[in-house]
Amino acid sequence: MSALAALTALSLKLNFRNRMAILYGYLFPLIFLIAFWALYRNDPVPLALHIGQLLTITVLGGACFGLPTTIVAERERGVWRRYRLLPARSWVFLTSVLAARLVLLVTAGLLQLVLGFALGLPWPAHAGALAVGFLFTAFAFMGVGLTIAMRVDNVPAVQALGQCIFLPMLILGGVAVQLESLPLWVQHMSVIFPGRYAVEVLQRSFTGTGLGGSGFDLLALALIGLAGAIAAAGMFRWDRSFAPNKAWLAVAFGMWLIVGAAAELRGQVTVSGLADTQPVGTPHDYAPEAKPSAADWHAVTEADFDTITFDRLPPDQGIVAPVSRSDAVPDPTILPLLDQIRDGLPNWAPGNVSDPVQRARNLLAVAAVPDILEMEQVERFVPRLVFARLQAVIPPQDLPKILYWIAMHPDAGDDGGIHQLGALGLPDVSGATKPVHGRIMIYAFKLLGRLTGKIPPL
Amino acid sequence: MTPVLVVQDLARRYGAVKAVDGISFEIAAGEVFGLLGPNGAGKTTTLESILGLVRPDAGRIEIEGDADPARARARIGAVLQATGLPDKITPREALTVFGAFYPAPLGAQMLLERFGLAEKADAAFDTLSGGQKQRLALALAFAGNPRLLLLDEPTTGLDPQMRRDVQDHIAAIRDEGRAVLLATHDMAEAERLCDRIAVIAKGRIIATGAPRELIAASGAATLEDMILQQTARA
Repeated sequence: MSALAALTALSLKLNFRNRMAILYGYLFPLIFLIAFWALYRNDPVPLALHIGQLLTITVLGGACFGLPTTIVAERERGVWRRYRLLPARSWVFLTSVLAARLVLLVTAGLLQLVLGFALGLPWPAHAGALAVGFLFTAFAFMGVGLTIAMRVDNVPAVQALGQCIFLPMLILGGVAVQLESLPLWVQHMSVIFPGRYAVEVLQRSFTGTGLGGSGFDLLALALIGLAGAIAAAGMFRWDRSFAPNKAWLAVAFGMWLIVGAAAELRGQVTVSGLADTQPVGTPHDYAPEAKPSAADWHAVTEADFDTITFDRLPPDQGIVAPVSRSDAVPDPTILPLLDQIRDGLPNWAPGNVSDPVQRARNLLAVAAVPDILEMEQVERFVPRLVFARLQAVIPPQDLPKILYWIAMHPDAGDDGGIHQLGALGLPDVSGATKPVHGRIMIYAFKLLGRLTGKIPPL
Repeated sequence: MTPVLVVQDLARRYGAVKAVDGISFEIAAGEVFGLLGPNGAGKTTTLESILGLVRPDAGRIEIEGDADPARARARIGAVLQATGLPDKITPREALTVFGAFYPAPLGAQMLLERFGLAEKADAAFDTLSGGQKQRLALALAFAGNPRLLLLDEPTTGLDPQMRRDVQDHIAAIRDEGRAVLLATHDMAEAERLCDRIAVIAKGRIIATGAPRELIAASGAATLEDMILQQTARA
């Protein structure tokens, strides 16, 4: 076994013999996960909208606290002074520490995901992109951790400096508190924190478009990690008796400011409120003059359609229940998923059940869930695929009546379709489905409006 | 016969202080060479220069005729002060991993047995006694099968029995033909182990020779008296 591999394996073994390392490295991320799950237990898809935050906190803790604590504690004890006597260059020792830390971060992240899956977290929309985003995040934060390790002299100082970075990043950097919940001036401030870019790239990988649109985030993480690594190399010391040149800190943290300035110049810094938390109301809000419920959908008449005030529906170009224009061109990054959905719908069992109402409900859920999950551009284009499929599998004379019936009874039927979206490449929903029913109602109204000519077919 | 270690005109300055000022000596195979002198005399700087941890301002250092410090380090084993190991590492793991850095390492099991650590092979480092830790430090210095051992006060802080134990190991190292450079404050240890010593004061060698010859030549009663005399004059 090479020296590097032997030292890396030893670092891992020693980590697993350290109770505090296990506590901070593995138990805390799981506690955070459970806390988020409890906090957001009413989300339609458990944890999915917060997984970027959770994974970022895991990496942040392991890389900005665990890594420098290990290095500084060993340096204080003279371990690095002893390593220095070995016939190898310093990069061998640093690489082994970083490799071991990366293994710890990846396993902690996987453990968090596994528990998340057990709690209803869906499979990530882009697993490969998630892995790439995780590695970039780990690189960025390990650069920060190395900078801390080389700058401070003792373990208490790691905790002090780490908290100075950790807490502002959690609160102001969009990590523990979602950006949407922060005042605009704080959102502008958040651009200097790598945590913001980490959360964005990880979340987009999990419920969004994957790495499409994440170029700047990945670049920001890479630059911050690189600057941290360069600063750490400049301050590297085997022994605490050598004083580091503090000017290197300007390289590491100056990059945060440069990245922040670039983000401001690029724009798109502030974000609006969460769509999925916005209530969509009840059928009565859109059809206040509707008659008491008919016996079943067969009894619906065109007169019923006239009771609907389509103007009250959320706009197609808005955030709630969006629908793309017919001439809109999807981003190439989402084409594979759209193709998968289009090709998968004909064979998707819930979309072929015998009951036409349930069939329509199931198909509408295919549009509703990406909307709830804010799957960026996907949520705008999927409704058109669904509308086309509904028109293909339900007779034209029945479809308006069924849509009206579903819209007026959004909580009827079963959730079988909602729970089988994985076959189409979409996240399965396993938590509370009430919000999904609301979006099914809106999409039913929207398609009904198009079929009846009340909504222009843009 | 080529000396194992040649140090010639070694000089190293820290700011205005001359830590080492033109030191020269050689050590042959099978010889223990002692560096004695008060704190701050330049012993540790000399050792660290030989190890390549400190870059000398002037002078030449050769290990078996090789002046390249990177290559030389693979032929040196060292026990320095203020070094440590992770609390939870075991002697077997430490010897195995350290051995992986050398082209022809000695086996961990052999070293464990040789240095009396076989029973503690799988015990955590923080459970070892002071003597066991120091024997492990010696064993680690041996991991690369070195031709030259640099030992910086290897028995400091040990009780008499443990000190004797470590000294026996150093004598055995010498007897198998390796060269040993021993920096120590312990005069009895120097007399017992060193074939030759150099007395250092203010970065310069002020006396060198076999301990008994130096005592006799100075007219002092003991090695300690001789060194006090010499350093007072320096």
